[in-house]
Amino acid sequence: MLNKMKHQWQARSRREFFTQAGSGLAGLAFSSMLAEAAPKSADPMEARQPHHKPMAKSVIWLFMEGGPSHVDLFDPKPTLDKLDGKPMPDSFGRPITAMGTANNTIMRSKRQWKQHGQSGLWVSDWYPHIAQHADKLAVIRSCKADGLNHVGSVCQMNTGDILAGRPSLGAWTTYGLGSANRNLPTFVVLLDDREVIGGPKNWSSGFLPATYQGTQFRTGDTPILHLSNPKGVSKEQQRSKLNFLKEINERWSADKQEDTDLDARVRAYELAYQMQAAGPEAVDLTRESEATKKLYALEDPDLHAFGRNCLLARRLVERGVRFVELYCGSGSGWDAHNNIEGNHSKWCRVSDRPIAGLLTDLQSRGLLDDTLVVWGGEFGRTPFNEKGDGRDHNPWGFTIWMAGAGVKAGQAIGTTDEIGLRAVDSPYHVHDIHATILHTLGLNHERTTYMHNGRAERPTLTDGKLIKELFA
Amino acid sequence: MRKSLIIIGIAVAVLALAGTEPKQKEFTAMQKRWWAFQPISKPAVPAVKNQAWVRNDIDAFILAKLEAKGITPNAPADKITLLRRASLDLTGLPPTPDEVQAFLADDSKDAWLKVVDRLLSSQRYGERWARHWLDLARYSDSEGFKADETRPNIWRYRDYVIRSFNADKPYDRFVKEQIAGDELYPGDPQALVATGFSRHFPDESNARNIMQRRQELLQDVTDVVGVTFMGLTMGCAKCHDHKFDPILQKDYYRLQAFFANTRIEDSAALVSTEQKQAYQQKRTVWEEQTKTIRAEIAKLVEPARKQFYKDGYDKFPPEIQAALDIPADQRTPFQWHMYYKAKPQVEITDEAAAKKLKGEPLKQYKALNAQLAKFDSIKPADLPIAQTMIDNESEAPKTHVLSVANYAVPQYEVEPGFLSILDPAPAAITKPAAGNGSGRRSALANWLADPNNPLSTRVMVNRVWHYHFGRGIVGTPSDFGVMGERPSQPELLDYLTTNFTANGWSVKKLHRMILLSATYQQSSNYNEAAAKVDPDNKLFWHFQRRRLEGETVRDSILQVSGALNTKMYGPGIFPPLPPGVITRGGWNTEKDTSESNRRSVYVFVRRNTRYPMFESFDMPDTHESCARRNNTVSAGQALELMNNELVLGWAKDLAKRVQNDAGMSPASQVERAWKLVYARAPQADETKAALDFLQQHDQITGNRQTSMIDLCHMLLNSNEFLHMN
Repeated sequence: MLNKMKHQWQARSRREFFTQAGSGLAGLAFSSMLAEAAPKSADPMEARQPHHKPMAKSVIWLFMEGGPSHVDLFDPKPTLDKLDGKPMPDSFGRPITAMGTANNTIMRSKRQWKQHGQSGLWVSDWYPHIAQHADKLAVIRSCKADGLNHVGSVCQMNTGDILAGRPSLGAWTTYGLGSANRNLPTFVVLLDDREVIGGPKNWSSGFLPATYQGTQFRTGDTPILHLSNPKGVSKEQQRSKLNFLKEINERWSADKQEDTDLDARVRAYELAYQMQAAGPEAVDLTRESEATKKLYALEDPDLHAFGRNCLLARRLVERGVRFVELYCGSGSGWDAHNNIEGNHSKWCRVSDRPIAGLLTDLQSRGLLDDTLVVWGGEFGRTPFNEKGDGRDHNPWGFTIWMAGAGVKAGQAIGTTDEIGLRAVDSPYHVHDIHATILHTLGLNHERTTYMHNGRAERPTLTDGKLIKELFA
Repeated sequence: MRKSLIIIGIAVAVLALAGTEPKQKEFTAMQKRWWAFQPISKPAVPAVKNQAWVRNDIDAFILAKLEAKGITPNAPADKITLLRRASLDLTGLPPTPDEVQAFLADDSKDAWLKVVDRLLSSQRYGERWARHWLDLARYSDSEGFKADETRPNIWRYRDYVIRSFNADKPYDRFVKEQIAGDELYPGDPQALVATGFSRHFPDESNARNIMQRRQELLQDVTDVVGVTFMGLTMGCAKCHDHKFDPILQKDYYRLQAFFANTRIEDSAALVSTEQKQAYQQKRTVWEEQTKTIRAEIAKLVEPARKQFYKDGYDKFPPEIQAALDIPADQRTPFQWHMYYKAKPQVEITDEAAAKKLKGEPLKQYKALNAQLAKFDSIKPADLPIAQTMIDNESEAPKTHVLSVANYAVPQYEVEPGFLSILDPAPAAITKPAAGNGSGRRSALANWLADPNNPLSTRVMVNRVWHYHFGRGIVGTPSDFGVMGERPSQPELLDYLTTNFTANGWSVKKLHRMILLSATYQQSSNYNEAAAKVDPDNKLFWHFQRRRLEGETVRDSILQVSGALNTKMYGPGIFPPLPPGVITRGGWNTEKDTSESNRRSVYVFVRRNTRYPMFESFDMPDTHESCARRNNTVSAGQALELMNNELVLGWAKDLAKRVQNDAGMSPASQVERAWKLVYARAPQADETKAALDFLQQHDQITGNRQTSMIDLCHMLLNSNEFLHMN
């Protein structure tokens, strides 16, 4: 009966999985979510069976924060040349924009456009290196979102809702699949230099247990909070302390064997100790060849920060990290309200070679087959100008692309209207993007549920459909 | 919410077209019989076989169920375990060795009773139980969204909650103050502070579409009132009739309508009318004497202020611009609300405007300001202010049922009202004699605080039980609906609820009864036979061992290391953050260690960045109400306690304390450490293990001082310390 409901879930048939680790409701969701695998332990990070055969083991999400201009990168609009300097015809429907610019005149794209590769995908001259990978890209030109401003839109692209409080997609992934490498976090966030708008709530676990939240890697050789020993505590000393801790813990647990929480905590300390070694190893780039470093443009000081993150992303997925989200221009870098030429020239240069390098590197190592790479911002930009030489926020139509994991590449999916203002053919909402990403990981977004305040919450709220063209 | 932004332009037109109410579907017989909506019964205390185990009526109800299932409840825990349990439970702090000594030495019959009363009268009690309530109230010291600005005076609400618990304020009064303190208790500053409950929504200071923002705030308060006071997931009914519970979509908006006329008032003065008058008199004198200077300043900053107004104004959609433009006497009720929301985006103070000045005007401004400062001696001191939610002066804007919760697609109008299944008529609203209030929230408050309300009464009793036992009689404390759990002992819940309201809604009396029961005093020991029948302990055959919350972990470490500063109240504190953590909105780390070593309930709550130590131990996100915290075990928690320099620092304090107290003998030092950390003496084999560790560890550290610190550090990391047993 319940399955007929729109917010669906399976009947509660299995004994609660999570009771030992805390929330009984978590257990309910889990046990109903996993029809096949009967959970054996109280370990929230235990690797779990997906719903169907996954195409991707990992996701690398290249988040161009601030909103890259689709009409200057992947979605050429000759009509903009015709209408340049003229008011937008009413027929396109005048939206309310963040900066109240909808009555401003249309601004053409100053880019040179060319078709690339066998597929003939259009990419502008702002992305010459990525253009060489055109046949690997599935460019979705008909994306749409609900937010007007950065904080809501970045939040929605991460969590599905413009209001904060829901789990991010990486947290849902971790909840759904558990960990593939216990010595590293399962969901890692990399920033370039500034804070993301809205901060850590964008990789929050929301109402899911905190274990599932993203871990923001810090720059430097200790990427995780409190990963190194306190000052002056040697490795040997730390080991000796932990041995003593284990001894007193085991003594106390001797007559409490049934309490798996206590055992889980003993193991958590051992895991933490292992992470202390594995974490620094994962971010140690000294063993990468010069050729590899060059691929990611590490020699260029302007490109180094993002290039390093792209290289780290490869190292992390290589080590079983399931979800890596790296921000390019964190803190609204791409937010070109004026001087889009200057702004986008800079950020395109910062991201072009490293992303191209990442695609090359993933492919040459055989990782691209089971890694989904996603490129995009929280929204696109308007066809009309702001302040004469910039563009305002555009959540009504914008572009993201995906590559790898066997998605059908070398194609453009969906369209925006003639001026790139609104998605018209095959529009795909953020929820659809989320459902699709989860699908590649083997998770059905409607079955990835968690009981919260009386509702079986899911990553896509009450919506979400697959971007079917990717799987044709 | 989707599409809402496109439609906004035609919102006004649509409003005029709003339709009439469709025929509502009938509630089913099953819905009408749903347990949580039934009147509270006063069940007879059941007869049980094992009379010797029973200490009060609670036990009879518990035991009757256990006997029916053939389960024998556990015997009482030992005295030390009990004392530690009650201390952590009621005050969030472990007992001191002296308190242990005193309790062990007290052979009198009422030794336990004395402990319970001592803990309940401790100021620490309010700090502990306020934290539970703050989870429910989604309390935060900042706005959230992008800027996450500080709410400079919201901490008074946190202090209000602490004071209320410590004073054992009757719960009905506590509810009334938070829902409608401004209307029901005019002139009472604490009741005004209490309205901050509805003020804890995340908010965006520069939202452009404030029509949508207002609707989101109304939804926030409707949802939070639904879960917190009524134990119902009202939020599920914002787009359609509730799929499981007998809550109509209309009921969601009827509940919301009680709040339709509230607005933020962030400078509510917390003084009596007389004090306000005295202030105003002085202020008038000062204003008279500084009139010319201030006029000159105003003239100087006028261009900047105008520019600010224009910048803000231009970014608003036409509806908001109209609400700002229209003469006050013509503003509609809805426009008044838009006006108040828009004002902070277009108006700035002279001081803020002066920051834009340069060159000669800046010089002039400084000179004028210096002149103005000469009158400071006659300027009255600023009044203490609170951040509150009060009724707007105008009549309330209409409330409509909205299509998919979209403010721009109203369907039909509703009046304030309670759940249709309990009372389908609109609520009777009486406008209060004093003040601006519409009386809407007073009506809701009185309904929630009615001893015959089947929901609000049971919900609170169940919460108290939940916090004591780690699970409620209803396992889902904020969901008494169909998707929640059924009460495991419905008769006990009703019995306690009846007692609760009959005892003047005293929360402390409820605590006392629970702590004096044999049910509470059971050991946490495992019993295989019982576990087979009732693995989740829904029948309470043993005390549920559980991990301490992050705040309690920190407070306990501070307490045993002797570093705890018990100073109460005031603005949030900023203890050090781990290196590399950045917070937008600022984090002004305390320079004075003793200030940063105050209790965790006083740690500033930055909505977008929870304090990392608490976050790793499952402090809830403050964007929503939280009734039941997660209780995870993670490597991050281990790293937090093992490698955080702060924790190691407290271990150093503890080691110093141990050595000061116990003298030179390593065995006495170990004993002292055990007593401070675990509230008990070590067993012989533990002493040996500790001494062996010290000796071996000396080889690595090269000195006993460091080894003792490391020993103390590991005790603070141990399961025994981190659990309430």
